[in-house]
Amino acid sequence: MLVCNANTKGAPLKKKILVANRGEIAIRLIRAIQELGHGAVAVYETPDEMSRHIRIADEAILLGDGPRCDYLNIEKIISAAKKTGAIAIHPGYGFLAENPFFAKACEMADIIFIGPSSEIITNLGNKVTAREIMSDAGIPMVPGTPNLSQGKEGIDQALAFGAEYGYPVMLKATCGGGGRGIRRIENDQEMVEEIPMARSEALASFNDDSVYLEKVVLNPKHVEVQILADSHGNTLHLGTRDCSIQRRNQKLIEIAPSMIEDQGLLDKICETAVKAAKASNYFNAGTVEFLLDSDFNYYFLEINTRVQVEHTVTEMITGIDIVRNQINLAFGYPLSFTQEDVKPRGHAIEVRINAEDPKNDFMPEGGKQVSVYRSTGGFGVRLDGFVYQGYVIPEVYDSLLVKLTVHGFTWDETVGRLRRCLQNFAIRGPKTTIPFYENIASEKDFLSGNFDTSYIDTHPHIFLYDEDSSEVGKLARLIAEIHYRKENPYAA
Amino acid sequence: MTRINQGTPVTEIVETLRNSKGYYITNTARDLSQSDFKNRILLHTDLMAAPARERAGYFSLEITGGASIHVDILRKQVNPFLKLRKLRESMPNTMFQTLCRGANLFGYRPYPQNVIRFTVREFAKYVDVWRTFDFMNHVPNMLAVFEEVATAGKLNEPCICFSTGPEHTDDFYVAKAGEIIEATGRDIVLCIKNHGGLGTPTRIGQLVDSLKQKYPDIPLHYHGHNTDGNDLGRIIEAVKNGATIVDAADSAFTGFYGPPPILSVVQSLKEFGYVAEGLDEGAVIETSEVIRDQRQYYDQFESQIKGFQPTVQIHKLPGGAMGSSLEQASKGGFLDKMPDILHKELPRVQKELGNYWSVTPGSQILWTTAVSNVIDGERYGNPSGDLRNLLLGKYGPFPFYKPDEWIYEKVLGDDWITVLEEEGGVEDVENMDLALERYDLAEQLGVEPTDEQLILYLQHPNDAVEFLKFEEKYGRVYVLSPAVFFHKGGFEIGDKLAFRDHQGKEHMIEIGPSPVTDTGETSVYLTVDHHQSSFTFKPDVTLSEAGEAMLSKEEIIDLAKAGDVRSPFSGNIVEISADEGQEVLVGDRVAIMEAMKMQTPILCEMSGIVTAIFAKKGDALKPGDRILKIDQDE
Repeated sequence: MLVCNANTKGAPLKKKILVANRGEIAIRLIRAIQELGHGAVAVYETPDEMSRHIRIADEAILLGDGPRCDYLNIEKIISAAKKTGAIAIHPGYGFLAENPFFAKACEMADIIFIGPSSEIITNLGNKVTAREIMSDAGIPMVPGTPNLSQGKEGIDQALAFGAEYGYPVMLKATCGGGGRGIRRIENDQEMVEEIPMARSEALASFNDDSVYLEKVVLNPKHVEVQILADSHGNTLHLGTRDCSIQRRNQKLIEIAPSMIEDQGLLDKICETAVKAAKASNYFNAGTVEFLLDSDFNYYFLEINTRVQVEHTVTEMITGIDIVRNQINLAFGYPLSFTQEDVKPRGHAIEVRINAEDPKNDFMPEGGKQVSVYRSTGGFGVRLDGFVYQGYVIPEVYDSLLVKLTVHGFTWDETVGRLRRCLQNFAIRGPKTTIPFYENIASEKDFLSGNFDTSYIDTHPHIFLYDEDSSEVGKLARLIAEIHYRKENPYAA
Repeated sequence: MTRINQGTPVTEIVETLRNSKGYYITNTARDLSQSDFKNRILLHTDLMAAPARERAGYFSLEITGGASIHVDILRKQVNPFLKLRKLRESMPNTMFQTLCRGANLFGYRPYPQNVIRFTVREFAKYVDVWRTFDFMNHVPNMLAVFEEVATAGKLNEPCICFSTGPEHTDDFYVAKAGEIIEATGRDIVLCIKNHGGLGTPTRIGQLVDSLKQKYPDIPLHYHGHNTDGNDLGRIIEAVKNGATIVDAADSAFTGFYGPPPILSVVQSLKEFGYVAEGLDEGAVIETSEVIRDQRQYYDQFESQIKGFQPTVQIHKLPGGAMGSSLEQASKGGFLDKMPDILHKELPRVQKELGNYWSVTPGSQILWTTAVSNVIDGERYGNPSGDLRNLLLGKYGPFPFYKPDEWIYEKVLGDDWITVLEEEGGVEDVENMDLALERYDLAEQLGVEPTDEQLILYLQHPNDAVEFLKFEEKYGRVYVLSPAVFFHKGGFEIGDKLAFRDHQGKEHMIEIGPSPVTDTGETSVYLTVDHHQSSFTFKPDVTLSEAGEAMLSKEEIIDLAKAGDVRSPFSGNIVEISADEGQEVLVGDRVAIMEAMKMQTPILCEMSGIVTAIFAKKGDALKPGDRILKIDQDE
């Protein structure tokens, strides 16, 4: 383990850290790196050559034409680090973040991987191994199977599980994650049909065709706990987040802390999370995810071994910079605060402003130019984005434009701030999720903190909104036409 | 000085009018806009005028109805209902008045009963006084409107349309008034609708006197136009003989064909000892001061010919049609034929067609027939669909006498007697399936329409859909001043346009550069509320194509004779009357087009088979645009 020495003036020596990611998270990481006094090395693929993270970094390396494959190319990224003299790599989320081979390759190349060890990633990334570790530690688990055997034997195992626990059940890819590789099975027939399909899909997506079953917890709340663990035996939590508002298992809105009123239950969930992290010898930042059923039973879901998209809400209520801590922990520093120092305050909400058309099944709006980009600001407002006016959204990457996170002392104040910020936001060109979130921010169940994973399906009216609600934007279009055509064709 | 406020029950309004010693004024802003500004005066200007007009204390403000509803959505891009709501916000006490064309409502031909009733019910939520007329003075055509207005608790103001000539006697009009009162009861205001500004002051004085003699308890409202410059004289005689309400307009915008200035009326009648009830003269003066500066932006909509037209007594065109007729003559290049059309042919046609009242839609029939008679050379050689309907009695019976048989023969054909027997009589328009119409509109808009949107659609289907889509795309544009809305020639870089949107929020748009790219696209840069926006325009292909394809009238006729049927004028396709593969003969109707409120059949100039159809119902065509193709049968 490389231990970072302080220089004579007490400030850490300037190191180069490579950011193996793109989009808003690349900028988030670069900011933390630069705030620590280090230098940030960006990498990019050709379709991202107009991306802002390249300009903000201290230097940038073109990996190749991509798309996506170069951000996933372990060899190219390691060699970019070597070439620029970066001593550490932060993988962000997605791409190589939870790839144990990448963590391993870093370890082999004597580069610090900012995250847990390849062994931890391997264990927790394999859902079945993870279940075994947690089950041994006495962590409450959703009833489930080990990896299903191949062929007919596996199907028989599956049908037996269905008979014992009843349908529906979830069929999951053992190496899946991020909401992918999950199928809901309603009956025996579907089970027989879906297992082979799930296997081939898992093989294609995760290079491993293992699948297993879990009982379905109907309409659960998704509650997760942020963990930080140093290499000196200290593990602590930064409280809970609620990520129940999802569509097809993709999170849209995240909230900290959970809105459950029973503080004793939340404390217990947090303690369980720390226990789970310790059971897996966890190191660096991670997230322990739980499902909470309507009777407030909670079940371990998985541990995400990366910085989460929604880490911002925890940062807002705790005041603790998770990415900064990730870097320091990776460099071998002990945690500089104790569990007692973590004092969450108020509420935070993050919405993912995506270039998508919610009305059209969240169809991505890639390829369009952002003709107007006007962001919001003011008290308790945080933006993590990377687009700018004139930016053309590449079609080949995800559709996240900017994360809007608001913080308030009370829930009402926070929701009011969210509503105000969404109204102030103006993005023209692509359709975005903004008007959809505006509807949620005025919806009464959301206002009363009452939501679970069925929220989007059970509140179809949040999809009813006018596309471009900015009156002045519409009027500006007419004025532009009058100016261009030299008369108003609609008033002749 | 008794001002009548909005919300006063009808019986109380009528009682106040009966007992009034003086007279009241209706500010006929709508008719001023229609007669002298082609209906283009924007809500923006009316909202500027609203506070002073509210204080002025008029009997009513006529601000909707007539052709204005169509022009609102077609040209001004404002929702006629929203207009009334916005005006009501600044004018809580002033009664709003409409002009309703009876069974024709605010359109140009009869609507079914259920559409009439539905429309009146919705508009009656905002409109307090309903001036209703029928161009044939055929009372049954107005009954549905009377009933709905009364049910809504609003004031009925039925009209007797006035004209001149040997048949237009006091006896006739007194009897007509009796027929109306029979239908409505006595809690009404009766309007003398002098849409042409016809007759001398003495003639109007006599008519008012005769009506008052017979119906002393019915308040009379005199409505006139100043086309001959003498409406002031008629107004004075009307009031001296017992009229209780008269029409006039704000002097800052008065022109030649609309009502005369309010202040001139007030000052003149004062000499005779008549007081304008409830009127604040200061507020009348102030209104004109507030809006005077805006008139410059409407210059393009003022009449092509300046000056009063005392010859209106000969041609009898209504003030509301003067502007559009002159515009048509100017655009059609036959301004030089106007003396012939106006002073010879129109009076002749009028006499030939029964000397009925020259007002919408009857005035358009007279005008189109006269124009076609002069331009095409053969009198009644190219009769419009509406003239045909008139002769068939679809609008109602001829009030005095029927046209000569040769006209029937010309218009309806050799077998005109059979045609008249089979198709003649007042049109009984079948009720529409409103649920189906609502569904159709929802399909076109992509959202469930409101009742108000449906009503606009029922009045003017194509234009309403276009308007609603416009509003979705460009917002509520009435907030833009005429200086912006009617701006021609582009703005200057650095021009700052400040306005408030419909919710009262302040905005600023600054004009930036408009560079053209290598590919010919223009990017217009605007700074919208201090943030830069850009709008990209591709070179307008359709415009240049139309420019090249512009055909002369002769070329269009030549093409038609060769089977290439093109649009002879700018208008909309109402119907494609032939199918592909159909055999057609010279003289067969292959399409119907509508322009300037008139339907015109497009007739086949070459026998053959229809081989291609290019236009469809609702298409807006320019002269020379393809309609269909006929190939010789081989």
